[in-house]
Amino acid sequence: MPPRIQTQWVSNSVLPYLSPNTSTSVSSSSSSSCTSLPSSTSCPRRTFSSTPAAQTRLRSHMFEWLNSEGRKLQYHEPNVYKYVTNLKDLGKDSMGPEQLSKRPFPLNQNFVSEPILSEEMRAEIYKRVTQDKKSVRAVSIELKVDMRRVAAVVRLMEMEKAWRSQGKPLALPYARAIQEMVPTTRYSSDPRDQRPHESINDLPVHRLTDPQIFYPVSESRQFTRVDAGRVFSGAPRLPNSTVEEIANDPSTAISKATQKPHLIERVGKGDQETQVLQPADARIPHPYLVAHERDSINKPNERNENIKRFASRLQEEERIEAERKQATEQRRENRTRKVNPEDSRFEFRFTDVVVSKETTGADGRGHKAPGRRYGVPSYERKKGQVKIPTRVNV
Amino acid sequence: MRNRATTPLSRAKIRQSWSKYNLYNLQRFRNPSTSNRTFFQQKWTAKSAARAYHGEQVPETQWERMFSRRIRSVVPMDATRLAQDDGSIASSGRGSGIMSPWEMERAKKEKLTPFTQMTFAPLERRLDTAIFRALFASSTRQARQFVVHGAVTVNGKEMRYPGYLLNPGDMFQVDPERVMFATGAPKSKAERREGRIARQKTETTEEGEEGAAEEQKEGKEEQKPEAEEAQPEDTRETLKGLMAQAKTIMSKEKSDLPAKKKQELRGFQKAIKRVLSRSESSSILNDNLESQFSELMTLLKAKRVEKKADSKGKNTESQPAAESSEPVAETEAPDSRPGQALTEAFQKATENPAEEVDTSELTEDELDTLKRALIQMRDNPIDSTKPYATPWRPRDYMSAFAFIPRYLEVNQNICAAVYLRHPVARPGFSEVPSPFSESINTAAFAWYLRRR
Repeated sequence: MPPRIQTQWVSNSVLPYLSPNTSTSVSSSSSSSCTSLPSSTSCPRRTFSSTPAAQTRLRSHMFEWLNSEGRKLQYHEPNVYKYVTNLKDLGKDSMGPEQLSKRPFPLNQNFVSEPILSEEMRAEIYKRVTQDKKSVRAVSIELKVDMRRVAAVVRLMEMEKAWRSQGKPLALPYARAIQEMVPTTRYSSDPRDQRPHESINDLPVHRLTDPQIFYPVSESRQFTRVDAGRVFSGAPRLPNSTVEEIANDPSTAISKATQKPHLIERVGKGDQETQVLQPADARIPHPYLVAHERDSINKPNERNENIKRFASRLQEEERIEAERKQATEQRRENRTRKVNPEDSRFEFRFTDVVVSKETTGADGRGHKAPGRRYGVPSYERKKGQVKIPTRVNV
Repeated sequence: MRNRATTPLSRAKIRQSWSKYNLYNLQRFRNPSTSNRTFFQQKWTAKSAARAYHGEQVPETQWERMFSRRIRSVVPMDATRLAQDDGSIASSGRGSGIMSPWEMERAKKEKLTPFTQMTFAPLERRLDTAIFRALFASSTRQARQFVVHGAVTVNGKEMRYPGYLLNPGDMFQVDPERVMFATGAPKSKAERREGRIARQKTETTEEGEEGAAEEQKEGKEEQKPEAEEAQPEDTRETLKGLMAQAKTIMSKEKSDLPAKKKQELRGFQKAIKRVLSRSESSSILNDNLESQFSELMTLLKAKRVEKKADSKGKNTESQPAAESSEPVAETEAPDSRPGQALTEAFQKATENPAEEVDTSELTEDELDTLKRALIQMRDNPIDSTKPYATPWRPRDYMSAFAFIPRYLEVNQNICAAVYLRHPVARPGFSEVPSPFSESINTAAFAWYLRRR
């Protein structure tokens, strides 16, 4: 805010009889309401006075705008996006709420206010995951909501339930107002009417695909996404037998990569060793959707069986994921030694520190490994080291 | 930390704030002209404009360390297209793919990924910025204050560092009272005065608690005979009055002055309390809404009207259940018809008092109105001790700034949000909320690329 100059009209208050009209109007109104009136009539500029003006020209312009055009934005209306971009369209009758722009910033063409989940939608997600015992993956595909979002919704709803049962005060009027201001994705009980909330198969752009590579290939060769991934990661060409195998049954090849990621071929030496870049089919969050589409293209008449196959693929994926999680949990359990003294409220858990190639890195200078190592200075006490925590474990 | 985030009117600077000064600056901000200016000058103006908005509270050196030239982006994949083509179509011919004319058209229409609009993406990881983006604070400075004052938890633990960089999956939660204060309309002068008086009263009662208790007893004794007197004569009258009050509350009009509305609300609240105090069970005033409502109905001898008797009201318009829990959302007044029916019923009842049962029968809509008024009173009560104007309403000009970016999942009821992932760019869209055009952000990106 710019420095405010007192709105007291000094000479007027001292000598009220000089201009009785202005003095009364000013004394009765606050600074903003004074400028709310057209400045030319009620707040005349004092040209011959040495006292500072009550308002700068810019401020009076601002209040003029706020009281004319800006008025439209002052109060919110349900399901009307009152963004600055819509200033011209807001008063018009011809513009329905659907036609209003969702861009909050008039200059930025690339940012739109995207819909959030409505209350019913959140409740539905929570119900499907907790009561119907569906997996996050399945719910994500059904409602077209990102898997991470599904998990977050369940987590937040769980917390909300706990708060309600504890009788903690909730911000209900606030929540209602936000749901009215921001576009929302509504839940529809008919799955065909359900609008997708977001794209669920987003492929993250991999670092290796940044450079443009000129790679000559004979015209007779079928150059696929698998080959492109190998070129990007600098891996040698696949033998013809493997190429044929993949071409005959692409779904199996992809599921092998997604379900057993440790078996993916590696290239490079030492620090540079990386997995071969997999095709997009394997790197998207829901690879079995592609397999399902492939089935429905190749076997258009076996609709029911295709659906069954899809369900079994989904189940298989879930099973493998659960197994993987359990295995990591087991490994962590095995690493920790638990001590529970008899007369203690606490359980002490010890894990051994590991100084190995994984923690120190190939050159032995990694920061993860504890302890002092020759030639690796500790910057712990150096000036400018950021000490704020980097993670909060639940 | 001194707040240097002024919103000067002479040079329009946009800030991460919901103030009306900022709104004014936002609507009049134009791209700086590039004609007759060196590239260095263009970059300098672009960077200073962008930095006034993005991470204004972060020192320049710190931001320079945070800056990353590697920008995250995603490409939405269509499962059908992946299934149709193994990639060989794109590499067929002489390597650039053989496309039919309509495919060429489609390829032309595909939007480019606005990478440079993501220049300030690393700052969106900061806790204070994320709180502002989740609409829990009216400015990043305020969000920062909430963090420093210990009103914010991350994963259930108090976090006092506004510069904490959120990791994907982190849940942060702000004290709902603070959020209501930050996003609600401020108190007026009269309301502040009321709050002061209420505070003084509580202080005096704390001092002379015994006396107050005695007073209360006396008051109760006074009230009780009154109620007993009142009870036989006019349950009908009370119901009538209640209904009228509920209706005026629910028919919210924009032109209504907040003070007047408040008076009405307070009257309604008092009436309800008076009725409920007649009940035998003393805990009913603190009980949940359902029991209160049923108690009210039994006390007033009100009944739900039979379906066939509904013909005179003819209320085909029944609101869905979801809306009934959103009383504030109700801007259109419940139509005048049930009101007319009700007054007719009351008139009839006064004409021939023999048919007493009929009069206290209520249609579905009327019951609904009464119930919604009750719900609103419970959820959004008048409370002069709160630091914001009560009943709560969003602050002015808030809707011009209201959007929630995709990388956050927010639950407004508990004022908690989950940072799902880092913001990404996708064809045509960027997830970093920036008020600047691509020309400014590109120049700012180029500024920070130097020496790198």
